[in-house]
Amino acid sequence: MRWNICSKTSLLLAFHVATAFALHEQFDEDLHLRPLRDGKLLSRFSFTTLLKGATPRDPQLLSVDDEAQHYTLFPLALGQVLREHAVTELHLSLNAGRWNYEAWGYPDEPGVGTGAELWAWMGDSTQTSVDQRWQGLRNALAGLFCASLGHLDEQRTTSPSLTFQPEGSLPNFTYPHRLRHATLPSEHVCTENLTPFLKLLPCKSLSGIASLLNPHRMFDADWHGLGVHVRYREDAGVEVRLTFQAVFDPVRSSNDRRRDWSLRSTFDRSIERACPVAHSSKVRVELPHGPSPYSITPEPTGISDSVATYAVDASDEALDVALRWPTEGSFEYPNTSKVPPLTDVSVRRTLKGTSQAEAQLTLVITNNLPVQVSTGYLETMPWHLQFYLHTLKASVNGAARDDLVSILSYMPPVPHSRPALLQAVLTLPPSSTLHLTMDVLKPFLRYTEHQPDAQRGWDLPPAVLVPFAFGETASQNHTVSQPAGTIQGSLVRPRRIYTSILLVDLATPDFSMPYNVIILSCTLIALLFGSVFNCLTRKIAIARVGPTPTSAARQEDHTPAPEPQAQ
Amino acid sequence: MPTILQKLAGVATALRQRLRGGDDPNATRIRRRQVLTNKLWKGLPFIRLVLFLVGYLWMLALPSSQFGQRIYIDENALQPAQVHTYWNWNDVHRADRILEDLEQLRDRNATNDEIARYSVGVFEKLGIPARTQRYSFDTLGGAINGTNAYAVMAAPRASGAEAIIISASWLSRTGEGDETLNLRGVAIVLSLAGYLKKYSLWAKDLVFVISDGYLDGMQAFITTYHGLPQANLHTEPLELSSGVVWTAINVDYPGHSFSHLGIFFEGLNGRLPNQDLMNSVGVISRHTGGVPVVVYDDLDPRETPSAPTVVPSWMPEGLKNNGDVQEYAMRAKVISRHVNYQARGAASGVHGLLHQFRIDALTVYAVPATGPHGFYALGKILESSLRTMNNLLERLHASFFFFLLVRPEIFMKIGMYLPSAILVGTSMLFSGLGEWVNAGWLLTSVSLEDEEKSEKARPRSVEKWVSRDRPVLDAVTVMIATHAIGYVFWEAVSRRLAHPAILFLIFAAAPLLVARLPQPTRPGSAPVSAVLKALNLCFTSAVISITAVLNFSLAAALAVFMGIPLTLASPSPRLPSRIGKYALYSILALGWLVFCPEDTGKALWNWEVLRVWFAPFVCVVYVPLVLQSALVCWLPS
Repeated sequence: MRWNICSKTSLLLAFHVATAFALHEQFDEDLHLRPLRDGKLLSRFSFTTLLKGATPRDPQLLSVDDEAQHYTLFPLALGQVLREHAVTELHLSLNAGRWNYEAWGYPDEPGVGTGAELWAWMGDSTQTSVDQRWQGLRNALAGLFCASLGHLDEQRTTSPSLTFQPEGSLPNFTYPHRLRHATLPSEHVCTENLTPFLKLLPCKSLSGIASLLNPHRMFDADWHGLGVHVRYREDAGVEVRLTFQAVFDPVRSSNDRRRDWSLRSTFDRSIERACPVAHSSKVRVELPHGPSPYSITPEPTGISDSVATYAVDASDEALDVALRWPTEGSFEYPNTSKVPPLTDVSVRRTLKGTSQAEAQLTLVITNNLPVQVSTGYLETMPWHLQFYLHTLKASVNGAARDDLVSILSYMPPVPHSRPALLQAVLTLPPSSTLHLTMDVLKPFLRYTEHQPDAQRGWDLPPAVLVPFAFGETASQNHTVSQPAGTIQGSLVRPRRIYTSILLVDLATPDFSMPYNVIILSCTLIALLFGSVFNCLTRKIAIARVGPTPTSAARQEDHTPAPEPQAQ
Repeated sequence: MPTILQKLAGVATALRQRLRGGDDPNATRIRRRQVLTNKLWKGLPFIRLVLFLVGYLWMLALPSSQFGQRIYIDENALQPAQVHTYWNWNDVHRADRILEDLEQLRDRNATNDEIARYSVGVFEKLGIPARTQRYSFDTLGGAINGTNAYAVMAAPRASGAEAIIISASWLSRTGEGDETLNLRGVAIVLSLAGYLKKYSLWAKDLVFVISDGYLDGMQAFITTYHGLPQANLHTEPLELSSGVVWTAINVDYPGHSFSHLGIFFEGLNGRLPNQDLMNSVGVISRHTGGVPVVVYDDLDPRETPSAPTVVPSWMPEGLKNNGDVQEYAMRAKVISRHVNYQARGAASGVHGLLHQFRIDALTVYAVPATGPHGFYALGKILESSLRTMNNLLERLHASFFFFLLVRPEIFMKIGMYLPSAILVGTSMLFSGLGEWVNAGWLLTSVSLEDEEKSEKARPRSVEKWVSRDRPVLDAVTVMIATHAIGYVFWEAVSRRLAHPAILFLIFAAAPLLVARLPQPTRPGSAPVSAVLKALNLCFTSAVISITAVLNFSLAAALAVFMGIPLTLASPSPRLPSRIGKYALYSILALGWLVFCPEDTGKALWNWEVLRVWFAPFVCVVYVPLVLQSALVCWLPS
C-alpha cells in the first residue's frame, strides 16, 4: 500500500516535471494510411520530437565539456550519440523488401533502399576528423539499434553529396560540413531493431499510435522499414523524427480475398488511449479514388483533399479506423501491363553474364512522362564489382545515344579498401526507354575475405536515381505535360528512386572437405606420373668421374656422386 | 645395459647395410632404380593388359549391387519434408479448372500466342506481374518460333536478389519431346502460383515460366534472362526481372494420373545438378507426397508387375529370377540411360538448360499410369520442395556434383566410378610412352665388360639400347593436319553440305593426303607411324582423363570406343591388310555419319539451338584421333 502511494506520488511529480520541460520539447505523432492500387495498404508512422532552440554541437568544441543534457521527451540515448560525435544531420533507415515503385508509387519516406542505409552531415574539425567521428557514430548506432551498422566501414563509405543534400539547415561552424554515406544491403530488419526503436519514444508502445506497432504484424508485412532522421531547423531547433513504414496486404490475410482493412485487422490492435505527452496525435487516411464505393468508420474528425483525419485524444473509446468496399467481392488486381506507372521514371537494374570474372551491369530506365526528364544517377559500389567505365553505353530503341549520359564525378574503387562512386546525369527523352550497359569486373578475393557463407555471394547496394528537371525542351511541343506537372507540383525537393539490390557471385573456392580430397589425390597422381614417366622414358646409368682412388674402400665415399644420366 | 644397446646398434647397422647395399649408396640407388625400370619395362605389356582389364571390368561392374551407398542430405539448411503442407483439394479444384481451359485451348488448336496470353491472364488475375516473350531460332531445319509466358512474384520482405524458377514446358519430355502435351504440368504451375501467393514465408522471388515447345522455349527465356547472346536466336527482351537463381524445378505431368515420380537431372554438356536437390525432392516425394520415386521413368518390374522386364530374354530361367541379376539389369538400364544423356551432353528435360547458369535444377516427371496419384500429391510435393529450396542461405555446393545415381536412394561417389575410365586412359598412356621409347631406341646386344669396370660386375653379354632419331615434327604435322580436317569436317557436317555417305567417303579418304606430308623415312630414324602412334595414344589418354572429371560418361564412352582399337593400331607390310585396317578405322571414326543419321541430326540440333558441344567435340577431337590411328596403320613401318 505504501509503495502504491509512493509510486503515485512520483508519477505525479514526473508529470509535473514533464510538463515543465515539455515547453522546450514538442512531441508529435502521426499515422498515415494509404490504400494502394494493388490492394495493399501503406502505413507510415511518424514520431517527431523537437528540441526547441537547441543547436548541434560544434565539432571544434569537442574537447570542451558539453552542456548537460536534460531531456524529457527527446530520446536521451540518441541525443548522447549525436552530441558525442557532433552530428548535425543524421539519416538511418533499416528496410526489408523491395519497394515496388510501379504499383505503390513514391513512398512517404524516400529512404526505401533494401537493407541498412546511414548518412550523416558532420562539421569538419581540427580536433577529431569526420571519419573518426563517423566510425564512432556507426558503432554507437549499431549498439543502439542492434544492427550490423559497424560493418559500414570505409569499404562502404562514400560521400555522394549531390544526391544526399541536407534536409535541414547546416549551422555555420568554423569548418564546412561533410557528408558520409554507407549502405549495407544484406542487413535483415526484424524485432531486435524495433524494440530499441520503441524505447526511444516517450510513450514507448504503451499508448498513442505507437501502440499499433505490433511486431508480429509489422514483420509479416510485404515491405517494412524503420527510419531515424535527425536534422537541425535553424528557426526551430533540433528535430528527431522516428518513422516506421510498412506495406500490408489485406488481400493475403483475408479469407475471401477482399481488400477491406481496419486497424484491428491490420495491426491486431486498436488505439486504446492517447499518448499524454503528445502535442498532436493524428491518424490520416487517404481515401481511395476508384469507382467502387467505400465506407470509412468511424466518422473522421475532418476531411480535406480526400484525406480523412482522426485526432487521437483522451476519449475512452478505442479508435479502430476501418475502410470497406461493401459492394466489392474478392479483390480484382489491375493488369500490370496496362495500368500507368505511378512514378515519373521506372528503373530496372540487373547484373547479366555467366562468367565468374566479368559481368554486365544493365539499367533499363523508362521515362513515363511525355516530357524530357533529367535525372541524377548514383552508384556507390563496393570494390566487389569494378566498373569498366569506358564501356558505359547508352541506347534508346537500339540506337546508341551516348550523348544522354554525362558523368559528373567518378571515384575509382581501391581493391580491398574503398568503394567506387559514380555520379552522372542522364537525360531521358520523353516517353522512351534508355538502356544503359556497362561491363564490370569481378575481382578475386583474398582467402580471408570470404564471408562465412561464402557461396551466397555479395549483396550490392541499390543505385539511386533522382529525377530533378522536367520538360525544358519538350514542354513547348507537348501540352499534355500538365498531369506530370501536378505530380511535381507537390515536390519540395527531388525525390530519390532506389533500384533493387544485386547479388554478385565472385569466384569462390569450395571450402568443403571433398574438394580438398580431390585436389590432394590429383597431386598424388601427378607426382606418381612423374616417376613413372621417368622410369619409362629415361635410361639411367652409372658414370664414374675423376681418377681411380688409391684406397678404394676408404675413398669411395668421397668420390663425387655418380650422376644419373638422362637421355 | 651397454650390451643391449650395442646389440641394437649392430642390428640397426646390419639392417641399414641390407637396405642400402654394401658399397657406394648412390650407385646402389641407381642400380636399384635400373632394376626397377627393367622390371617395369619388361612387365609393360602385362601392366597395360591389367590396366585395360581392370578398367573395363570396373565399368562392367558399376551396376553391381555390391557398389553404391545410400543417399543422404548434406546441406543442413534444406530440411526436406520437415514442413506442414497446406495444399488441399480446393487448390486441386482450381488446377482442374485451369486444366479445362487448357484443354479447350488445345482442342481449338490455339496458337502459341493465345496459350501464352492465357497463362499471362491467369497470373495477372492473381496479382502476379506477368508478360509474354516471343522468340525465334534460325536453324538449318527451318525457324523455330514460340511464345513463352513468365511471371515474377516478388516475395514479401525479400530483396529480390534471389529467385527460384518453377517451370513447365508446353510439350512434355515424353519421347524426348514427341509432341505430347504437358497440360497438367502447366495447369499445376498456374494454380500453384495462386496458392503460393497466399504465404508470406518466401525468402526468394518465385519466377514462373510456361515455356513454349520442349527445350527451345526455356533456352530463349533463360539465355535472355542471363543476357547471353546467341547469334541465331531472336527474342523480345524480358520486361520483368528478378535476381540470381540458385535452384529451379520443372514439372512434367503428361498423363492423366501417375504412379511414380520420375527424377530427370542431366543437363547440357553433361552437367549435373547438386545431388542434395535430387535427394531432397526424393525424400519429400516419399514422405510428404507418399509417392514412390524412380530414376527416369523406368519402373522396376519387381515392384510393378506391369512394367516391362529388364533382364534379357536369352538369359537362362534360373538366372532370370536371381535377385542379383535382376538388380544388375535394373541398375545397368539406369546407368546406360544416364550415359546416353550425359555422354551426348543432352538435357534429359527442360531443367537441363538451366545448369549452364549454375542453377541446380531437375524435372519431376509424373510417370503416366492409371493411378493412384494426381494433382493433390504433386502439389504437396512441389510446395514442400519449394519450401526446401526457399530455406537455402547460400548456393548448394559441397562437391555434391559428382555422382552416379543407380537407384533413387543409392548412388556412387566419384571415387567409385571415376577410376574405371582413368585406368583405361592410364593404360593408353603407358602404351604411348612405351611406343615413344620404342621409337627412339633400338635394343641391340653388346658386351657389358668394357662398359662398366667394377669388381662386382660379372662379364656377360647384355642388351644395350641404341638411340635413333624420332621424326616428331612429321608426326605432329600429321596430327595437326588431321585435326584441321576434323574442323573442316565439322563445318561440312554442321552445314549439311552433302549427303552423309559422300561426306563419309570424302573425309575417310582425306587423311590419305595427309599421309603424304611426312618426309620419307630417313635411314637410322624411327618410322613416322611409331611416333604418331605414341603421340596419338598419349593425347587420347590425356583427353580421356581430362574429360573424366568434366563428363564421366563421355570419358567412359571414349575409353570404350578408343581404348583398345587405338592401342592395337599397327602398320602392316602387306597392302590388302593396310587397306582393310584403314577402312575399319575409318568406319570407327566416321561410321556414325551413315549408320546413325537420327542421332547425328539430334546432336546437330542440340548444337544449333542449345550450344551443346558434343557434335563439334566428336568432329574435332574424336574423329581425328581415330583417323590418326588409321594413318598409323597406313603409314609404312
